[in-house]
Amino acid sequence: MLQNSHLQIVSNLADIPAISLKHFSAYYGEACILSDISLKIPARGVTCLIGPSGAGKSTLLRTLNRINGDNQTASFTGQVDVLGKPLIAGYKDVTKLRRKVGMVFQSPCVFPRSISENVLFGRRDKGMSKAEKRSLVETCLKDAGLWNEVSKRLDKPAMDLSLGQQQRLCIARALAMSPEILLLDEPTASVDPVSARVIEDLLMRLSEKMTIVMVTHNIAQTKRVADHVVFLCDGQVVEAGATRDMFSRRSSDKTRTYLTEEFCDC
Amino acid sequence: MSRTVKNALFWGASKLALILCAAVLGFLLLSILWQGGRAISFDFVLSPALDFGTSGGIVFQILGSLLLVVTAAIMVLPIAVGTAIYRHCYMPRARDKTRLDTVLYALNAIPSISYGIFGLIFFVNILGTGLSWFVGSLILAMMMLPTLTLASHATMGSLPKSYQENAAALGMSQGEIIRHVILPQSSGGIVTGLMISLARAIGETAPIMFIATAFSGVTLPQSLVEPVASLPTHILALAQQSTNPQALQNAWGASLVLVSFVAAFSALAFFTRQKFSHLGHR
Repeated sequence: MLQNSHLQIVSNLADIPAISLKHFSAYYGEACILSDISLKIPARGVTCLIGPSGAGKSTLLRTLNRINGDNQTASFTGQVDVLGKPLIAGYKDVTKLRRKVGMVFQSPCVFPRSISENVLFGRRDKGMSKAEKRSLVETCLKDAGLWNEVSKRLDKPAMDLSLGQQQRLCIARALAMSPEILLLDEPTASVDPVSARVIEDLLMRLSEKMTIVMVTHNIAQTKRVADHVVFLCDGQVVEAGATRDMFSRRSSDKTRTYLTEEFCDC
Repeated sequence: MSRTVKNALFWGASKLALILCAAVLGFLLLSILWQGGRAISFDFVLSPALDFGTSGGIVFQILGSLLLVVTAAIMVLPIAVGTAIYRHCYMPRARDKTRLDTVLYALNAIPSISYGIFGLIFFVNILGTGLSWFVGSLILAMMMLPTLTLASHATMGSLPKSYQENAAALGMSQGEIIRHVILPQSSGGIVTGLMISLARAIGETAPIMFIATAFSGVTLPQSLVEPVASLPTHILALAQQSTNPQALQNAWGASLVLVSFVAAFSALAFFTRQKFSHLGHR
């Protein structure tokens, strides 16, 4: 009942959802991690997945570009549509899905190569000229808010960057694939508060041209950056809707408790 | 007994073990250096053996040994790395990995003479190859296989999982991840494993003695089924003439050259590891 109402709330936010889940359940082996979730995530804007540890936020996120599929024990039931196509049948070649649905993880992971090589790491197109590559590197680093800091040392090792810069480099690397959806799993968890604010500003700018789905434990951050919020607890959606509604007209005690006291008893 | 005394005893015992180990190795190396140094000269290294090795040099023994191990390395490298990649990327069940590891450890423990006997029976007797340096390389490659495979998959297993996950999230296929992430990041460990197994193989006598080498009278082979001379078998042959001081002197000289090759391979392994770990953790 509650979940059906969420479906309605979120679907009103945009006509065409970027991601749609119907009766979605996810499992690791026998263990049910997410149970019977129905949800629509609108195109454009930032959607934050919040909830206590073990709620299934990362599992949900990792399902959306099938990174979970690399785990032999992971499985799911129900219907998941990404960009209007079924997650499995619509993307028989998983690499095509992952180019449209980029992902940035909690800990920044740069490859032991130069900054520009990191940006271009996923681009394996043989026809790209040097000028095109240089232009792509510049565009992505500008989009990631890193260009001014690294423009004079693009050939230097990426590992020399600070953690905050490395995380923005990871975002630039994901942007180089021109994704339509960007998934972020606690992207600011391992960086300092100043870098976190830079990344937040960056995500808000990016959300004007792509769909951003982010897992976060930071309620204040959610309030700052999210256009839409999905509150998950114990493998189920407790509440979902526009951020202003979630933080003003709180429709459930659980949500209120979590947003104010950062505690959940489910 | 107080904790301080226990700590001091443990520290003393472990240091004593280290000193004993270094002393044995030092004594051995100094003996070879001292005795072998007297035989070594440009002439000795660059001229062929005469009179069953009691005079002349060891040039064909050096070339033969290098031919054997380099060919073995070329044969074993793709198989060992391929096996390691399969284990790392395509073998889903932990139980299968454990079984493969058990087989590799068992292969690694087989005495080298058993490989030699296998080569003698299968290649020389059954297939009728006769003495063949190529068969010797094949047998050495079989000996090197478990060491190199274990070293390769150990280095692949030690790669941060996040590298592969991030590459997959960028839409890279498994093949691209292997080519652009796993192999470049593992190359240091693979080269180290190769050098260690080469160092072991170049000093082996037993596996090649019956199937690939001749004690005297051979130069460079003109075909795959001809024997070569090798340093270990040459040293063995000279050591059997221990009553002849010139033969013994040449045996020490050949030993010094052999140990130098082993040291060179080990040093290369060390520097490769240093270089790649520096790149990986900068």
